Formats: sequence, C-alpha cells, structure tokens
Amino acid sequence: MNRHGRRLAVISTVILVAGLIIVIVPYLWILLTAFKRQVDATAVPPVLFSPISFKSWERLLDGPFPGSLVSSVIITVGTTVATLVIGVPAGYAFARGRFLGRRFLGGWLLFSRMMPPVIFIIPLFLFFHQLRLTNSYLGLVLAYMSGLLPFTVWMCASYFEDIPIEIEEAARVDGASRGRAFLTVVLPLAMPGVLTVGVLIAIAAWSEYFIPFLLGGFDTTPATVGLVNYVGAAVIDWGAMAAASLTLVIPVLVLTLIAQRGLLRGLSAGAVKG
Amino acid sequence: MSVGTRGQTPASGGGLSLGALVERFFLQIASWPALLVMLFVTAIPFAITIALAFTNYDLVRSDTWRFVGLDNFQELLTDRQTPIVLINTMYLVIATTVIPTVAGLGLAVLMERSFRGIGIIRTLYLVPIMTAPVVVALTWRAMFNNDAGWINWIAGSVGLPTPVWLGDPLLAMPVVIITDAWTSIPFQSILLLAALLGVPRELKEAAAVDGASRPRVFWHVTLPWIRPVLYVVIVLRFMDAFRKFEGIQQLTGGGPGLSSTPINLQIYSTGLTYHRVGYAASWGIVMVAMIAVSLGLIYLVQRRLR
Repeated sequence: MNRHGRRLAVISTVILVAGLIIVIVPYLWILLTAFKRQVDATAVPPVLFSPISFKSWERLLDGPFPGSLVSSVIITVGTTVATLVIGVPAGYAFARGRFLGRRFLGGWLLFSRMMPPVIFIIPLFLFFHQLRLTNSYLGLVLAYMSGLLPFTVWMCASYFEDIPIEIEEAARVDGASRGRAFLTVVLPLAMPGVLTVGVLIAIAAWSEYFIPFLLGGFDTTPATVGLVNYVGAAVIDWGAMAAASLTLVIPVLVLTLIAQRGLLRGLSAGAVKG
Repeated sequence: MSVGTRGQTPASGGGLSLGALVERFFLQIASWPALLVMLFVTAIPFAITIALAFTNYDLVRSDTWRFVGLDNFQELLTDRQTPIVLINTMYLVIATTVIPTVAGLGLAVLMERSFRGIGIIRTLYLVPIMTAPVVVALTWRAMFNNDAGWINWIAGSVGLPTPVWLGDPLLAMPVVIITDAWTSIPFQSILLLAALLGVPRELKEAAAVDGASRPRVFWHVTLPWIRPVLYVVIVLRFMDAFRKFEGIQQLTGGGPGLSSTPINLQIYSTGLTYHRVGYAASWGIVMVAMIAVSLGLIYLVQRRLR
C-alpha cells in the first residue's frame, strides 16, 4: 500500500510538472522572442537563443505603442474606480434588504452576465457615434461596465452578507447615519474582499480586447488592440509583438503574485456563490 | 422621533430634510446608479438589438432603413452559411466546456494533495488565467506557425507529423480548442480545487474505513459533494465559450473559409465588416436563444442528477 501510494505520488508530480512546462513554454517564447535579432525571430527552423538585441524594443518605442499603453492605464484605473464606486454600494444594498427595483436589478444583472457582449455592442456602437463617445475614455469605461458591474455587485453582495448586521446596527444606535455606518463600519470590514474584486476588475479591464476593438477611437486605443497591429495585414513583426506582450503580461504577473491568496479566494467565491 | 422601522435610525429624525431622505432611501440611493448604468449599457442596447432584427439597417445607408418584418429570419433559414456557423458554435462550445472541465477536475485532484512546493504550483497555474486573451492568441499563433513555429519544430524533431495547423479547415477548430484549453484547464482546476479542499475529511475517511477504494470514494463521496460547484463552473465555461472572440479572430481569423467561425464572430463580421446591422441583430437573437436553450438543458440535467 505504501509503495503503491508513493508510486501514485510520483506519477501525479510528473503530470503536474509536465503541465507546468506547457504553461510556461508560451511565456518562454515571448521572453526569448522579445530580445532576439529580427532575423532570428522568424528563422526556419526556429533559433532558440540569439544574441540579445533590443531592436524590437526600439521599434516598439518609436511607434504608437507607448501611447496605447498610457491609454490602457487610464482605462484600467478609470474602470476600476468607477465600477467600485458604483458597484460596491449596490452590492451592499443587495446584501442588506429590500428596495424598489431589487428584483429587476438582480435579474437584469444575471442576464447581463450571461449574455455575450456582442449582443449589446452594436447598439452601443451606434449610440456612441450619436453621442460622440467613440473617441472618449468615458464611453469605453461605460461599455466595460456592462460586464464588470454585474460581477462586482454580485461579489460584493456576497462579501457584505458575511458581515453581521448587528455590527452596523450597534453603530446606528450610537447615532451614526446609515451612510456613516456603511463607510466607517461595514466597508472597512469588507475591505479585503473589495480589494480582491478591485484587482480582478483591473486585470479584466487591462486585458479587454473586444470592446475597445469596436468602440475605441484613435486616441483611446489600449495596448491589447495596439498589439495586434504588429502582426496585422501590413506588417508581421513577431519581435515587437513579443516585446509588446511582455509589457502587457508583466504588470499582471506582479499583481497576481502579490494578490494570489485573495485571487484564489475571489475566483472560487465567484464560482461557489455565483 | 419617528417610529423606529428598520429603514430609520434615531439620527434620521422626523422631517423631510435631505439627510432624512437619504436615511430613508439609503438602499435605493446606493443601488440606483448601478441600475442606471446597466439601463444605458445593456438594457436599452438589448431592446434595440431586438428591434434592429426586424429592420434592414445598414451602416453605410443608415438613413434609409425600414422595418422588413421577418425577412432577416427568412434569410437566416436559407443562408448557406447558417448551418456551418451553427455547427461550429456547438463544436466550439461543447469542446471548450467538456475538455477543460474533465481535464481540470483531474488536475485539481492532483493539486489537492499537499506537499512541498504545492503553493508555487497552484500559483503558477493561476498565471495563464490572468493573461490577456489576445496575447495568448497571438503567442499560440506564432507557435502554431508551420515553418517557424515551435510546435512543428518539436513535432518534426521527434518524427511526428507537422501539419499546416492554421491553413487546414479540419485543424483550425482544434487549434482554437487547444489554445483555449491552455487557459481554461487551469481555470477549471483552480475553481474545482477550492471545492475539493472543502470536502470534509471525515466523510472520505469514513468511506475508506468502510472499505471503499479510492476511485469509489471519489465517485460516491467527493463528486456528489462538489456537484453544485461543478454545475457553476460548467455554466461559467459555457458562457465564456459563446463570447470567445480574440481567441479566434487573432488565431485563425475564423478561417480558413468559415471553418472556425462560431456565431459570435459571424455577428461581428455581418454587422461591422459587411455593415448589415439588421441581419447581424437577427443572428444575435438566434444566439440569445441558443444560450437560453442550452442553459436550460444544463439546468435540467443537473436537476435530474440530484
């Protein structure tokens, strides 16, 4: 039995490590390609190691990509802040009771979460042309919220439900208004959860492609959409594409490592309670 | 002081001052901005999509549109592309739900054991989930390249066949599914791992003491316990499969031909590449119906199993 158990452990470790290699290989490709000479980036057969070259980075920095990275940062920060400011109180309202529109909002949030964005995007595309929102960050942030707001309200409601109502009732007996009790008593208790949701929103906004691909204007194109131009119909520049990908991957990697415990819990809370 | 109902606090007092109103309607005030945003970005657009499906609205001739009744739906029935797109959609949705869920469950079982370094392994499996899908698609496109790609390079050097992955109509969809699996197997396994870790130890030990083998314990104790989570992760995968966009557009472009074009891409190209917004909207309604029917089916199956 013991030997059997040990053999099982060895097999499962081998599978886990093999899986990890498959996980890592694409990142390795990005890392190596970003620092290759251009001839080596498309060599047949592939050249694994080439003398380190920063030419791809130079081409990247000379082009419009740095500007689109700035757009990505603006959109990510804007979306995260706006979604939290609007979604967290709504999540609280959901956790705490009845109000006019609760059922409708709940049903609608679920529906919006289920439906793919393509259902909403064509009318939004038409709206945005009418309202001159096509080349604005406000328009993009609003469109991003179509998927992220339901997620946020849902997650926050589950965090607020875990906070005993007696705690805020005690604060209100002491004379605090509801708003005050929410801001000074409930919110700080829910903060770890809210921060996790914030990180997940930020990563989702940073990675979003479909919405800005359709609704982004010339000045608001984020890096995910800008990236594609390096391997488009006109040019194929895998070196610059890999370098650009690194700038998209690294911030998320760092954030994931910092927030990993919260993320694990946040993702699974979404599955268990969602 | 007013009668102390739940909505009022001692601080709110009686009158109709602003503070008192905020106090009285606090939950409404907290939730209505969200309601307003959702109205603007999803509810109204959805209503418009339904309306557009009955028009011949065209992006380049946007001022001459009119209602055309069921013409778009009639065209859908006779369109030679319709069956191809519907079959592709089912192919994609089923494969990208079943494969990652089964493989993810297996991976989760392996990650459930605790040993030195398991924390790092679990964290590393998180990284693909967090990587922008467009980066994933482009990187795999490079790796699937038939001459310069790593996959054929490795396959060729160990004597395996080296097909033209991205140019073969039969292989385009498998390429999409393999690439998808790279993120979705870890995704399913991370979610299922959380569920597995929540199965009470005593339950499994009691079954083992009664002489049940490991597979039997898994089948009769663990699986029923995690079934609610399994149901949710299947539904989540399902919805992700329907909305998959850049994972196809930037990998195979939906081709060659229509060979890897599911309904999501078809709506996009009909509406925005070919400007036929009205017709695209009728495809959109078909998509909503497909999602509703299949979610209903999953729900029924789940009820039957309970």
